[in-house]
Amino acid sequence: MARTLAMFTDTSLCIGCRACQVACKQWNELPMEEPQWTGSYQNQAHFTDKTYRLVRFIEKPQPNGELQWLLMSDVCKHCAQAGCLQACPTGAIYRTEYGTVNINQDVCNGCRYCVSSCPFGVVAFNHDTGRANKCTFCNDRIHNGLGPACAKTCPTESIQFGFRDELAAKAEKRVAKLKEMGYTGAQLYGVDSNGPLGGLNAFFLLLDKPSTYNLPEKPLLPQRNVLVDSVLSVGAALLVGVTAVVAFRERGGKGAGDA
Amino acid sequence: MLKTPGWHLLIVWYFFLGGIAGGAYFTAAIADNFGSSRDRSVVRTGYILSLLMIGVCGMLLILDLGTPSRFLNMMMHFKFWDPMSIGAWMLGVFGLFAFVSSALSLSPDERRAALRRRVSLVGIIFGFFLASYTGVLLSATALPFWSDARLMGALFLASGASTGMAAISLLLYLSGDSAGEGFKKVKRADRFAIVFEMAVLVLFLVLLGSAAAPLTSGHLAPLFWGGLVVLGLVIPLLVDVLGARWVPAVIPALLVLVGGFILRYVVVMTHA
Repeated sequence: MARTLAMFTDTSLCIGCRACQVACKQWNELPMEEPQWTGSYQNQAHFTDKTYRLVRFIEKPQPNGELQWLLMSDVCKHCAQAGCLQACPTGAIYRTEYGTVNINQDVCNGCRYCVSSCPFGVVAFNHDTGRANKCTFCNDRIHNGLGPACAKTCPTESIQFGFRDELAAKAEKRVAKLKEMGYTGAQLYGVDSNGPLGGLNAFFLLLDKPSTYNLPEKPLLPQRNVLVDSVLSVGAALLVGVTAVVAFRERGGKGAGDA
Repeated sequence: MLKTPGWHLLIVWYFFLGGIAGGAYFTAAIADNFGSSRDRSVVRTGYILSLLMIGVCGMLLILDLGTPSRFLNMMMHFKFWDPMSIGAWMLGVFGLFAFVSSALSLSPDERRAALRRRVSLVGIIFGFFLASYTGVLLSATALPFWSDARLMGALFLASGASTGMAAISLLLYLSGDSAGEGFKKVKRADRFAIVFEMAVLVLFLVLLGSAAAPLTSGHLAPLFWGGLVVLGLVIPLLVDVLGARWVPAVIPALLVLVGGFILRYVVVMTHA
């Protein structure tokens, strides 16, 4: 496997210009969709099958009553342990040699299981094609050494793309510097390979706690429940089975096929 | 910020009829192995009902994809830990068992009956599987009200057992066989299953805690409380336990079936 590629989004540098959102639309030929009123400058409200890159505009009330902008260009996290990839019954969702998570559109059969298996609600069902869509890190571009369109276009280098280990080191330095400058809430999200979901290949520098950005504090792999629920189901089956045997058993032990 | 898959009625029907298929098969298998020759109508009805339901289930799953041929994509791949993958395969395997059991139940020959009983002891595992895996499938998603209790499989299994039995008793009633010993036994077994389902549902809601809100106070909450809890569980149980003779025997069975459908409907259609 090649060295893992990753995306580092430093929200402290984002100016909310949405060039990334536009570049994504253009490169990936994503058609227009109905705009959504979100009460803020943000549009759409969330990822859709036609919006893979989304600049979030979060208004955080300050103690003095004013609002503070928190801007965050959000994207598929390309999790090291990806719920969508685990859920996919056809193998359409796969991991590339760069460690990114991609959906093979020809193989996807539109069962939509991945949509609800993403801890971040990224994957979206496309009603026109009957298949699931999400950010690919511009799979075609990165296989030709171009880097994703969003990172390429970002005028403030809020979005950076490169080798994961190098970017992680850069991120650590940057967060230390911001803390020094007095941004006490500055923190990294998803950079730790031993952390939730084995680390995110799109990680973030946030200026506040993750929940302020509508990110889960501790995203969990949905498939962790399979074993427990299966065992409990077997227990339930045994109980129901025993009660049914009691109901059907002939009194006096004259059952036809007492096994 | 999580997403529901946006599944439609086809999937609600699949979850519902899959539960009936599993429940009917295991009821028939238990009647076959532990009951008497007087339960033969239960055995035959159960096996054949489950075979028919499996056939319908397969069609529902294929139709849901919009482009039917894409179902083959699922058959090129096998993930043993993935409920969606293993479920599609097991539906086929269970179908084989239901077919063999149904065919053998048509013959009065005692030697075939012995073989049928043995087959059903293996088939029963797949019956339980089909009734419960759809719940486990929901448990393995990121949506808290589906996954946090980790009891959706057990809940669907209990409901599948109960609706499977209700469907058998309904068919016996319609075929004029409601005076027989088998009918009484199915009703008795269904009473146990309803009580068990109620217990699992209470435990499910307790374990979910505040995560249960979309179900218990969301836009489908009236259906959840009125349709599932009152109509589908409490009333059939009361009618049965109180022995209300003025209520036709078919009414509780019908209510259980309606409740089982509403359970799947509310769970699938509730927004995150």
